Amino acid sequence: MIGNIRQQASGWLVNVAIAMTALRTNLMRSILTTLGVMIGVFAVTLAVAVGSGAQVSVMQSINALGSNMALIFPQPDTGEGGRRSFDRGRLTMRDARAIQKQISGIDDIAPQLRSNIQLIVAGRNASTNAVGTTPGYGKVSNLVAENGRFISEADVRSAARVVVLGPTVARKLFGDFDPVGETIRINRAPFTVIGITESKGSSFGNDNDDIALMPISTMRQRFSGDSLAGPDDLQLLFVGFQDGISLPDAKREMTKLLRERYRVRGKDINPFTIRTTEEFMKESAQVTGIFQIVLVAIASISLLVGGIGIMNIMLVSVTERTREIGLRMALGAKRSDIRNQFLVEAAVLCVIGGAMGLILAIAGGTALTVYADFPVPIGVGVGVGAIIFSAFIGLLFGGYPAVRASRLSPIEALRTE
Amino acid sequence: MALVETQDLVKKYELGGETVRAVDGVSLSIERGEYVAIMGASGSGKSTFMNMIGCLDIPTSGIVRIDGIATSDRDSDALAELRNQKIGFVFQQFNLLARTTALDNVAVPLIYAGLGTEARRDKAKAKLEEMGLGDRLDHSPAKLSGGQQQRVAIARALVTDPVILLADEPTGALDSKTSEDIMQIFESLNEQGITIIVVTHEAEIAGHAKRRIEFRDGKVIEDVVVNNRQKVSS
Ligand SMILES: Nc1ncnc2c1ncn2[C@@H]1O[C@H](COP(=O)(O)OP(=O)(O)OP(=O)(O)O)[C@@H](O)[C@H]1O
Ligand SMILES: [Mg+2]
Repeated sequence: MIGNIRQQASGWLVNVAIAMTALRTNLMRSILTTLGVMIGVFAVTLAVAVGSGAQVSVMQSINALGSNMALIFPQPDTGEGGRRSFDRGRLTMRDARAIQKQISGIDDIAPQLRSNIQLIVAGRNASTNAVGTTPGYGKVSNLVAENGRFISEADVRSAARVVVLGPTVARKLFGDFDPVGETIRINRAPFTVIGITESKGSSFGNDNDDIALMPISTMRQRFSGDSLAGPDDLQLLFVGFQDGISLPDAKREMTKLLRERYRVRGKDINPFTIRTTEEFMKESAQVTGIFQIVLVAIASISLLVGGIGIMNIMLVSVTERTREIGLRMALGAKRSDIRNQFLVEAAVLCVIGGAMGLILAIAGGTALTVYADFPVPIGVGVGVGAIIFSAFIGLLFGGYPAVRASRLSPIEALRTE
Repeated sequence: MALVETQDLVKKYELGGETVRAVDGVSLSIERGEYVAIMGASGSGKSTFMNMIGCLDIPTSGIVRIDGIATSDRDSDALAELRNQKIGFVFQQFNLLARTTALDNVAVPLIYAGLGTEARRDKAKAKLEEMGLGDRLDHSPAKLSGGQQQRVAIARALVTDPVILLADEPTGALDSKTSEDIMQIFESLNEQGITIIVVTHEAEIAGHAKRRIEFRDGKVIEDVVVNNRQKVSS
């Protein structure tokens, strides 16, 4: 039994040795054929990696938002159809408090108003997206003040003119100088900088650090009061949940609560929309999945061309070596021996091409990661997969020539010149 | 039981609507230990006959039995095994693999016999030494003389210890001196008990055989036991 296995293994090794000799004999031709597979494997591997890189960076930016969270917008949820009984979306501070009080498992909430603002200090100015919120924001979106402090309850109560700057805004206004405690003018009113947030990097070319935070009450009074329909309205509410809480359940409970508060009946459209990070992840996984499939499908065309090159060259090889095939048959080679010999030759060609393509893809992926700031992970799995896949391409496209070789009649083959 | 037996063996080729009967109803039997020369004019069907008893070619009709086994009953795998185990071939053009050492050339049949690397080396080396080529193991065919190449080919034919050696004009590409060396080898192999069937045009080569079969137009026209050798088979 063991002897048998060893014999078989040595039979395959013989085939590899025969293949190497044959490939070396036609070195230039082998290299050119390998090139086709190399380019194909390079393209497919990179496509797979870019696709999963996109997935990773989408997940990262969703995670940067906070991992276990629901977002509520004052927008009619048109997803479900049905009668529309509200002229506009509804979401108020009172709703936020009701949710915090009545829904279980909440870590913290962050009601928000958003507005574009102009910041000026000593001749320098910057415009950014400001968020008016409560201390809960820091907790819900994993944002801490790296320097100075975050917004406090007292700031919110007194509508204090304080602002927490993102690192990008701080750099624009103050350079390397520490701005905590400095006074800046926002839309002509003086504000005190109380803190700088830690950096959150960027996702999809979107700078997460280009931000300014202030108490929601201050924002309401000074910047967005007249753009809101009601005095208590919110533009956005983050609800952060504790770990282990089921987001679909929580979403159901919140929907029920808000529907009661707005007396939405039956199939009528809700005047609010609730989305969870889990849903975002699922949706973006779907989108990036399709993106990846399209990418790989396009790249596969080059691999197909490479495979056809293999088939072509193997047919040439079989024709050129017809006499050798006849001789081997005369010496006792079975059809399967001849078939395997050529299969191995095709597989060796493809695996060499695949390995080179993989090396190229790793180089290309690293370059993309370094220069384009786009993660292109080529893990061990992708690497091993690429090699196995190349061997499979060899077997697939080498299959027809190999079977054709094995079907030759010994005497016909032996008689060819 | 005869080692090689044919009954009414026929091989026809269709060429442009014309039928060529390359072998036309040959019934023969060759016993173990015989040394047979097959002669005849060019195109008389010698090679075609040899290829059929060597299980390389399939008869149009008739029967070939090797060691009692009718080859028509066998599938291609069984025939491959039969060729590997029982038959050794020597060709006019040597048919050695280029860019492959003498040792590796001789070892080829052992690959298909399923032997491991070391066993293959050992046996191939032993056969080459028997052929007086112990110092040429790592030479590729291009670096060997015609006679040496043919001896490598004979070592390859014998490496699986077959019972029959089939040689189709083995000296056709060699000068007369080298041909004589090859004939010496055949003679001593025959003395060791190997059955030899050799196709030749040359009377001198045929003179080494104990039996001579003459072909004409695909038919056997003469089948005689030769007496001018010391040992004569009955
Ligand atoms: N594959 C083939 N297709 C058609 N005709 C063939 C084929 N092989 C052999 N023949 C014909 O069969 C006849 C016998 O050929 P064969 O090769 O057996 O002759 P031979 O006795 O070996 O001749 P030589 O001494 O020249 O080698 C010839 O007329 C030849 O043309
Ligand atoms: Mg002939």
